[in-house]
Amino acid sequence: MSILVVDDISAGYGSGPDILKGLSLEVEEGKTYCIIGPNGAGKSTLLKAICGLLHPRQGSVTYKGEDIGKKRTDEILMKGISYVPQDRSLFPDMTVKENLRMGGYTMRDRKELENRIDEVLEMFPILGERSSQSSKTLSGGEQQMLAIGRTLVLNPTIIMLDEPSLGLAPKVAQYIFDTIDQLKDSGMTILLVEQNARKGLECSDWGCVLDLGINRFEGPADTILQDPRIQELYLGSQKRKSVEEVE
Amino acid sequence: MSEIAVTTKKNQAKTEYKPEHSTSRGKKIFLVILLLILLSFPLMQFVAGGMNYWLHMALFIFMYIAMASSWNIIGGYAGYTSLGHPVFFAVGGYFTGTLLVYFDVSPFLSAPIAGLVSMALGLLVGLISLRTRGPAFIISTIALVMLVRIIFDNWDYIGGTNGISTPLIELPLELAKFPFYYYMLLIAIAAVYVSYRIRHSKFGLGLRAISQDETKAEVAGIPTSQYKILAFGISGLFVGMAGGLWGYYLTYLKPDIFLLIIIAAKLVLMTVLGGKGTVAGPIVGAALFILVNEFFVSNFGTTELNIAATGLLLALVLIFFPKGIVGTLKEKGKLPAILDWD
Amino acid sequence: MTQAIQVIIFGATLGGVYALMASGLTLVFGVMRIVNIAHAILMILAAYIAFYAFQLYNLDPILSVFITIPVMFLVGIIIYKLFFSLISAEDRKGELTVLLTFSLAIIVEGVLGAQFGNTYRSANPGYASEAILVGSFIIPKGQLYATILSVLLIGLLWLFLKYSRIGYAIRATMQNQSAAQVVGVNVERMSMIAFGIGIALAGASGSMMSFLFTFYPGKHWEFIAILLSLIVLGGMGSLGGAVIGAFLLAILSALVGSYIGFTWSPITFFLALFIILLFRPQGLLGKKEDI
Repeated sequence: MSILVVDDISAGYGSGPDILKGLSLEVEEGKTYCIIGPNGAGKSTLLKAICGLLHPRQGSVTYKGEDIGKKRTDEILMKGISYVPQDRSLFPDMTVKENLRMGGYTMRDRKELENRIDEVLEMFPILGERSSQSSKTLSGGEQQMLAIGRTLVLNPTIIMLDEPSLGLAPKVAQYIFDTIDQLKDSGMTILLVEQNARKGLECSDWGCVLDLGINRFEGPADTILQDPRIQELYLGSQKRKSVEEVE
Repeated sequence: MSEIAVTTKKNQAKTEYKPEHSTSRGKKIFLVILLLILLSFPLMQFVAGGMNYWLHMALFIFMYIAMASSWNIIGGYAGYTSLGHPVFFAVGGYFTGTLLVYFDVSPFLSAPIAGLVSMALGLLVGLISLRTRGPAFIISTIALVMLVRIIFDNWDYIGGTNGISTPLIELPLELAKFPFYYYMLLIAIAAVYVSYRIRHSKFGLGLRAISQDETKAEVAGIPTSQYKILAFGISGLFVGMAGGLWGYYLTYLKPDIFLLIIIAAKLVLMTVLGGKGTVAGPIVGAALFILVNEFFVSNFGTTELNIAATGLLLALVLIFFPKGIVGTLKEKGKLPAILDWD
Repeated sequence: MTQAIQVIIFGATLGGVYALMASGLTLVFGVMRIVNIAHAILMILAAYIAFYAFQLYNLDPILSVFITIPVMFLVGIIIYKLFFSLISAEDRKGELTVLLTFSLAIIVEGVLGAQFGNTYRSANPGYASEAILVGSFIIPKGQLYATILSVLLIGLLWLFLKYSRIGYAIRATMQNQSAAQVVGVNVERMSMIAFGIGIALAGASGSMMSFLFTFYPGKHWEFIAILLSLIVLGGMGSLGGAVIGAFLLAILSALVGSYIGFTWSPITFFLALFIILLFRPQGLLGKKEDI
């Protein structure tokens, strides 16, 4: 059951050129999708186009049968799609708790918001410990936890993560991936953009390879992982091959 | 790329990169004729009489042409909007005025020195102010005007808030404006010439690089600090000279005549209206603004609404017409040769 | 020594008012990254409102804040819609907006001048010329009341920003605009509201100004230069910094006024501005990228 359908969308920033040039993708509920590809391929742009920070110039984005291409971010958030940007986008002078509260900004019910905040703090004990600290004092891994926690306040159906392991030491990054596994187990639909393609594919069901603004090919994550072409181009093979040979 | 495309690109490159600006004969003739007209214009006083109003308008325009062209060096070429130029104006005016009142030195002699004093001040202030960019720089120039205003208001030697009056020039009424007319014309020509030479120099190229992207300019090896400070200093030179003459012309020096932010606003407006960063722009802008302003004043009288209108015009030009007359014409390829000096 | 303390008291009682003036300016800068040069002339507009309310209807200038705050809030919204919606988001951060607020300041100055003339005005409710005696120190009543009200208003502002939903959204926009968007804050709308609040604060400041200073349209240049020096000192965009800067410089300028000369006291602010720009362009509490 496709819960999210991206159909042939083109999108770009401001009055600039199209970054996405006719990209299509179907997302089934409960599955984890890993989106990989070289820099500039449009991975972040795709996520932004889905959650309303960008509006597709062509094509459509359909969620649960409804066209959300022209909707505002807060509307899309309330429908159940959450987004964790690449730079985590925390509020540096706000405490952990206040950041979580901002995560629930679109929630009308204050009581429920407070409940959800407490639930998230329980889910991530480290955040619970630091709940009154300002977020800029957190370590990289803790900030990533907070960024993810913030999206969970809304109890989203789909959560989109843009390079969650970026800039994190391998052990900390592993902790993040374990958290993603936890989310998977709870039935969440996850869109994961990862530069660390190997790790990303390993915890996903399905992989999509983006290049030059389109969805070049996709398939079950472990197939993508084994595909030699992908291995060389995007994952880095065991042997170092010269550029000419790869081309 | 096809062969045609390649050749066209080559030709474009040839016509666009011209290190030396070759002035066509037509333009040279135009300048000579213009100069002759301007030089002989006051002589109409002997023919027709009653020219004093027009002489006044003309020298007023010359003064603002000089000041706007100077402002353009820091505001247009380098892209640093200064609202502090009234300080140069005041320093120049008070310098010659004080020398006249206390030491009997004619402003016609001391005006160039007043200009140099202003330039020195500009270099000094620039050392501090130009450590900031954009909005902070603009703020620092406003603070400069307020600072100097307080100093002048409290300085008894130069008359404080009441100012000092300077003696009238000893000439019969019909000739009284002549020396000012010619001197201002000279200052205007000098200022425009300097602006022109800078525009076509490595210095000017560096300044324009700074206005586009200062960090990249620095990385490219341009001595941005030195260039900026020099530009600021030079921009003060002719403003100081003009001020030196203006005080004498007015026969009165008062802080609230010279140290007005509205003067700075007018300089910005004239330059942007005419075309920021071009040689001819400030000239066109100054002349146009003063003539239009004069039209409104003579028909509707001076009120504070004049000030409001200046502000409104500035806002409109900034939003809808940022390239100014010369800039927009150039963009559309319709710039007449006599305005094309860049 | 007693003279010094007296002077410091004098300065401190003005500090609150300067802090209120600066807070509106800081708020707008923090949220929109816009330096609103027109802030001071809008204060003077409010001062005229308070002045005439006093002259014509005997309304106490301090009470006039109940009028000036909502009226100026609306004025702020109108200005925002007229001016800032015309500029695209990228141009906003540069000097174009400073020049636009500069033109706005000139426009309002001209209109006020045409309407009210250049006469020096000042409202004079009773307390403006009375004082309280504490020990051997004189505390001018007008300034005291004004500072108390100012501190109250700043306190209310702080509470609003800290605990209300809109306050959260405004703070979020100030701290990380793109993050605010991601959590669903309507950044445009918050900017507009913040601007309105900023001008409303100018309105309240104007009410105080009407009886604390003599004002006329042209006086705004002096005030905006003072306010700008306050917020540059405190770090642009930092409310706490603006308050600290305001008290510090108010006291310092009172000392200058007392020991060097009354007409010299404003120079404290302008010199301070230059010195700070020389050594620490980002002010005492600001961050490097703010300048």
